[in-house]
Amino acid sequence: MTTNVTFQARINGQEVTATVSPRTLLVDFLRDHLGLTGTHVGCTFEGVCGACTVQLDDEAVKSCMLLAGQISGHQVLTVEGLAQGGSPHPLQAAFQDAHALQCGYCTPGILMNMSDFIGRNEAPTDDEIRAALVGNLCRCTGYSHIVEAVRNAAHAIKARKGAAA
Amino acid sequence: MNADSRFAVIGKPVVRKEDVRLTAGRGQYFADLRIPDALHCVFVRSSHAHAEIVSIDTAATRRAQGVVAVFTGEDIKDRLAPLPHPIVVPNLPGKFPKHWPLAVGRVKFNGEPVAVVVATDRYLAEDAAELVDVVYSDLPYVGSPEEAMRPGAPIIHEGWENNEIFSMSFTGGYTAETVQANVDEVQAIIDAAPVVLCENFKVHRTGVTALEPRGVMATWSEDDGLTCWITTQRPHIDRLALAEVLELSTQQVRVIAPRDQGGGFGTKAPFYRESILIPWLAKTLKKPVRWLESREESLLVVGQERDQRHEITVAASRHGKILGLRARIVADNGDGCMGVYWGFVMPVLGAVTLPSGYDIPKCDIQLRCYVTNKPSLSPSRSFGSFPGRFVIERMMDILARRLAKDPIEIRRLNLVGSFPYITATGCHLDSGDYRKALDTLVSSVNVPEFRALQKTLRDQGRYIGVGFGTGVEISGIASDVFVQLENQPGYGSATVRIDARGRAQVLEGDAPQGTSHETTFAQVVAETFGISIRDVQVQTGDTANTPFGSGSLGARGGSYTVSAVVNACRNLREKMARIFIHDRKLNALPADIEFEGGFVFPALDRDNKVSFAELADRIIMKPIALPPGEQAGLEATDYFEAAKPMFYFGAHACFVEVFPKTGEFKISRYVTCEDAGTVINPLIVEGQVQGGVVQGLSNAMLEEFVYDEYGQQLTTTFEAYKLATAPDVPHIEVTHSFTPCPHTPLGSRGIGEGIPGPVPGALVNAVCDALEPFGIEINQLPLRPDKIWHLLGAHFHSAQAKPNLRQAKAE
Repeated sequence: MTTNVTFQARINGQEVTATVSPRTLLVDFLRDHLGLTGTHVGCTFEGVCGACTVQLDDEAVKSCMLLAGQISGHQVLTVEGLAQGGSPHPLQAAFQDAHALQCGYCTPGILMNMSDFIGRNEAPTDDEIRAALVGNLCRCTGYSHIVEAVRNAAHAIKARKGAAA
Repeated sequence: MNADSRFAVIGKPVVRKEDVRLTAGRGQYFADLRIPDALHCVFVRSSHAHAEIVSIDTAATRRAQGVVAVFTGEDIKDRLAPLPHPIVVPNLPGKFPKHWPLAVGRVKFNGEPVAVVVATDRYLAEDAAELVDVVYSDLPYVGSPEEAMRPGAPIIHEGWENNEIFSMSFTGGYTAETVQANVDEVQAIIDAAPVVLCENFKVHRTGVTALEPRGVMATWSEDDGLTCWITTQRPHIDRLALAEVLELSTQQVRVIAPRDQGGGFGTKAPFYRESILIPWLAKTLKKPVRWLESREESLLVVGQERDQRHEITVAASRHGKILGLRARIVADNGDGCMGVYWGFVMPVLGAVTLPSGYDIPKCDIQLRCYVTNKPSLSPSRSFGSFPGRFVIERMMDILARRLAKDPIEIRRLNLVGSFPYITATGCHLDSGDYRKALDTLVSSVNVPEFRALQKTLRDQGRYIGVGFGTGVEISGIASDVFVQLENQPGYGSATVRIDARGRAQVLEGDAPQGTSHETTFAQVVAETFGISIRDVQVQTGDTANTPFGSGSLGARGGSYTVSAVVNACRNLREKMARIFIHDRKLNALPADIEFEGGFVFPALDRDNKVSFAELADRIIMKPIALPPGEQAGLEATDYFEAAKPMFYFGAHACFVEVFPKTGEFKISRYVTCEDAGTVINPLIVEGQVQGGVVQGLSNAMLEEFVYDEYGQQLTTTFEAYKLATAPDVPHIEVTHSFTPCPHTPLGSRGIGEGIPGPVPGALVNAVCDALEPFGIEINQLPLRPDKIWHLLGAHFHSAQAKPNLRQAKAE
C-alpha cells in the first residue's frame, strides 16, 4: 500500500489535520472521516449529479472529483457550514419557503453551487439560474421551485445589502 | 389557491417540517447511518447478458486484504430458499421464475449478481471484487419480445416451454369462449364503424431513477434476531418477505426504512435480491453487514420500465365518438426475477387502465409479456401506464386530424361524464369532473390566440404547435383490487398518540421518500385538534413501532394513509370531547365541542374552555372520575379502506416550436390542471405535479436504456443515461380544478404517482401539431431531434411542402 498522506485544511472554519490513504476521495473524507454527511453521492463519482458539491476557496466544486489530499492548505465549505451565526443562509430559507426540495438528496449540492453563483450574479434571470444549475440533477421537483427559491434568495441578499448600505 | 373555508390549516401552503434539517445537511439517509465495525459488501455482476457460468475462481479474492467472506450462487443455493415465495407473488396467472439472490448456473442479464465480496472496508471490497475470475460460456442473447416469441428461440428460464411469462385478456371475462365472443363483438363494431384507425406504437425502456441509490444494512442478534435498514417504500412487506425467505419468525425481523430517503418513485418498492442476501449474510457471519449500491449498479438493475408495444385499432363515429378499441400489447419483461412485480405487474396495470378517462363502451385488450435477457421491468412512477397514456392520447389527436376536428372537442366528446363509471376493463372511476378539469386547462391557455399565431408563423416558415394529454391515475388502490394485483391489502393505517403535554405523534408504517408526509399529516392532526403543527411529530417506516401498511406507493398517502390519520384523530377527539362534557357537566354532544387555538370549549360557550394540553393530561395522568365505561389514555390506531379504487384526473397542455432544418424543438410552455379534490397543502401538490411532469418529459425526450447486439447495457452512468437538467425543461405551470372526493373523510385524493402519464402524449401531440403541414405523425418514443429530422427528410424527398422549408431556411 502507498504511504498515507497527511494534510492540513480549513473546513467550515475549523483547522483540520488528517492522515488518509492517498486514494481517498474528498467526498468520502468529508463523510466518513469527518462525519459531514450533508454532502451526498448520487452518481458513480463521475461529477454528473452534483449532490456532492462543496466550495473550495469559495468556488463550487464536486467533491467526488477531488482527492482529499488536494485540499491541503485550502478552505472547504460544506452545507453544514453554510448557515452563519445561527440563522439560516438566505438560500436555505428561500428553499424552505418555496418548497424547493422534496427528498432533499440533491439539495446540499445545489445550495453550495447556488451560493457561489448568486455571489457572482446578484440579480440572475431565470434562464441564467437554469444554466447555472446544469451540474446538479434533481429528480423530484422539476426545478421550477428551485429556480424560484434561488431568485428569491438573490433578491433577499441584495435587499439586505441595500438596507445595510 | 384552495378556497376551502372549512379548514384552518388544511389547504394552506404550510412550509415543510422536513426542510429545516434537509437544507442544513442534517438529513439521515441510508448512507449516513453507520454501525461500528460493519462489513461492506460489493457485488460481482455479470458482464454477459446470457451465459452459462463455467467457473468462478475466488481464491485470489479470498486472499486479498480485508476480505472476510466471498459467496457465489453455488455457495448459497443449498442454504437459502429461492424465490418465489407466496408473500411476494401476485394473484395473477403468470409464471414466476425461480431465482436466488446470486446467479446459479446461468446468468440472464448484464448486471445480474454473480458473487458477493464481504470486506472490512468498501475500498478494499471493491479491490477484491476485481479479482473474482468468472468464466462464461455465451448463450444466444434474446434482446426483444419479438425474438423471445420466435419459434425456436432460446428458452431463458430452465424448464419453461417458451419465453412467455404472462398472457391475459382484460376484456370479455375469464373463459376462452367469453373472451372470443368479446373479440368477435369488437371486430363487428370495427367492421361497421364509419371511421377506423389502426396504429402501432412503441415506447422504449426507461423509468424513474431516484437520485439516492439503494442500500441494505443488517445486524443479527441471537436475542432480537435481524434488524435491517433498507431503502424501501414498504418496510412491512419486506419484513414479512424476509421472515418467510430466511425461515425466521416475524418477531425476529425488524425492518427500518430510513427517515429520509432520496426518492423512490417505485424503484424502492420491489423485494430485491440484495434485500435478501445482505440480511442473510449478517445472520450467517453474525456481523453487521452493509451494502450501498453504486450508480452503475443502479442503472444496470433498477428503474427500467415502460418498454411496451401497442397495436391499436379504434372504431369511431363520424362525429368522433369512439365506439370500440382493440389493443394487442406486448411487453419486454426482462428476466422477471423481481419479487412482488416479476416484470409483468406493471404492464398489467397499464392494460387495465388503457381506456384512461374515456368512455369507450367496448374494448378488446390483450397483453402478452416475454422474458428477455435484460433486468426485470421494475416499477416506476406512472406504473405500467406511461406507454398506454401515450397511445390513447395520440389516438385522440390522430382521430381529430382524420375528422378535421379540434382535438379538445374530441376529448370532451369522449371523456367520461358521469360517475361512478366502470371501464370496459373493469376499472372503477369513482368521482370527479373530467370535462371541468379539461375546460379549466383550456381556458387558461387561450387556444384561439395560439391558433392565430400558429397560422401567422406558418406563413413565415415557423412551426409552433400545441398538444393535449389527459389521464386518470390511481389514488392508492383498494384491497378489492390490490389483493389480486400484488397479494397485499390496500387499506391505510396510522397510530395517533397524544401525550400528557398535549403534543401529538403519528406513527406510520409506510415509508415516504420525499413525499412530505411529515408536513401533510401534521396539518391534518393540527386541524383536528386545533393545535400547532409544530406540536405534531410524524414517525415512519419502523416495523417495530408502526401499524402494518402496504407501503408508500400509488399515491396512497393523500387518500388512504392520511384518511387513516383522520379517522384515528377523530376517535381521540370524540373521546376528549366526551370526557370534557362529563367533567363540565354540559348538556352537549361531542360534535358541539370545538377544538381551536390550543383550547377545547363548547361552540356556544367559548369562555368555558380548557387547554388541549390540560385535557390531555387529565385523561392520561389523572384518569379518575372518568365517565362510566371510559378508559384512560389517548392513543388510537385506525384504518381507512375504500370499497373501490379511487382515481384522480389530470389534463396537460404542451406548447412547442419545432425547427424543421434540424429537427430540434423547444417547449415554450407547459400547463397542467389537476383534480386532487381537497388539497391539503397546495405547495406540495404543485411540487408533485412539476416534478412528475419533468420526469415524464425526461423519459419521453432524453432517457433511454440502450443495449447493444450482445445485450451489453451501454447506459450505466449519468453521462450516458441522460436525466433532464434545469435548462432542458421549461417552468411547469400548475392549475387546479377542485371536486372533493366523496369517499375520503377530507375529500382528498392522493396525487403524484401518475403525473408523468399524460406527458408524452401532450408533448408528441404538440410536435405533430406543429408539423401538421408535413403530415408527420410520431408513434414511437423517445422523441428526439434526429427522429424528427429523419421524418422531415423522408417527407421532403417525396412531398410538395418543400417551399415551406425553403422559407424556413430563408429565415
